[in-house]
Amino acid sequence: MTGGIPGPGRPPDPGVDAPTLLVGNPSSIGEPAPGGGRRRLLAGRLARGLGELLITAGIVVALFLTYQLWVTDLFAARTQDRLHHQLDQAWQRPPAPPAPRAPAGQQARPAPPPPVDLGDGLAILRVPRFGRDYSPVVVEGVAAADLRRGPGHIPGTAMPGQLGNFVVSGHRTTYGKPFSRLDELKVGDPLVVEVRDRYYTYRVTGSEVVTPNRVDVTYPVPKRPGVVPTKDLITLTTCHPKFSASHRLIVYGELVDTTAKSAGVPPALRGE
Amino acid sequence: MYAWLYRHLPGSPRLRLTLATVAVLAVVALLMFVVFPAVETVLPNGRVTLGD
Repeated sequence: MTGGIPGPGRPPDPGVDAPTLLVGNPSSIGEPAPGGGRRRLLAGRLARGLGELLITAGIVVALFLTYQLWVTDLFAARTQDRLHHQLDQAWQRPPAPPAPRAPAGQQARPAPPPPVDLGDGLAILRVPRFGRDYSPVVVEGVAAADLRRGPGHIPGTAMPGQLGNFVVSGHRTTYGKPFSRLDELKVGDPLVVEVRDRYYTYRVTGSEVVTPNRVDVTYPVPKRPGVVPTKDLITLTTCHPKFSASHRLIVYGELVDTTAKSAGVPPALRGE
Repeated sequence: MYAWLYRHLPGSPRLRLTLATVAVLAVVALLMFVVFPAVETVLPNGRVTLGD
């Protein structure tokens, strides 16, 4: 019986009630029971506090996973609902006065759409392969705050229906994960971009995985710096593999059809 | 730590339980709306655009 735990026949441990007796009292060395009990009590408290901290840390990590895998999707769904609503309203209003007339040779081309504020919706993307309900609003800008709202159009690249490359980046794993299934697209798959008064139907022409520094895939003619574009292209980018920043998945497409909304939905969206 | 916090809450057990619940919810909200959005910007899975 040399331990600090008071046995049934022992008097109560004085160390608990009279801590001042122990401070700097050399006699406690010869008497292990009170000092040891005090130390054990302290060690117990420390261990318990540490355990509580570790459990708390574990709960915070679990909460963060919940946030990433679920809560961000809720945020994005709410924002997308709002963006759809705003876009509907904006498209019902008469369009802004047309921009200065295009040069004579390009009269057939619709006037370029008015500039869009960062974070505002500019088009609806529809991909039949991703299902009928897939219709994320593409927003202007690719800052973190813009991409939380939806797939983002890289400012400065062509707008839909403009000559050049309409480049859109989107989340693959969080915030509604609009581009999570980009790897399933096959050559020839339609990508339909809906704007105020028409649908632009692009067809996938190819895809590749590149390193993150390959800005040249966003050029008006991808990977051909300085070349003047002659086609309307679309390029979608997202991270690859999922949850990683090591590479980017790039999907290329080319405009094949323009359908005015007055003529109904384009063939690519029918027949489902 | 938590026992200590709980002991220092005022009022009846019922009030304490309510206060503790509100405190937990407040901490969770702070994490979800402030801390996590700030932390996630350093995670790799948000990098979807091209550039250095």
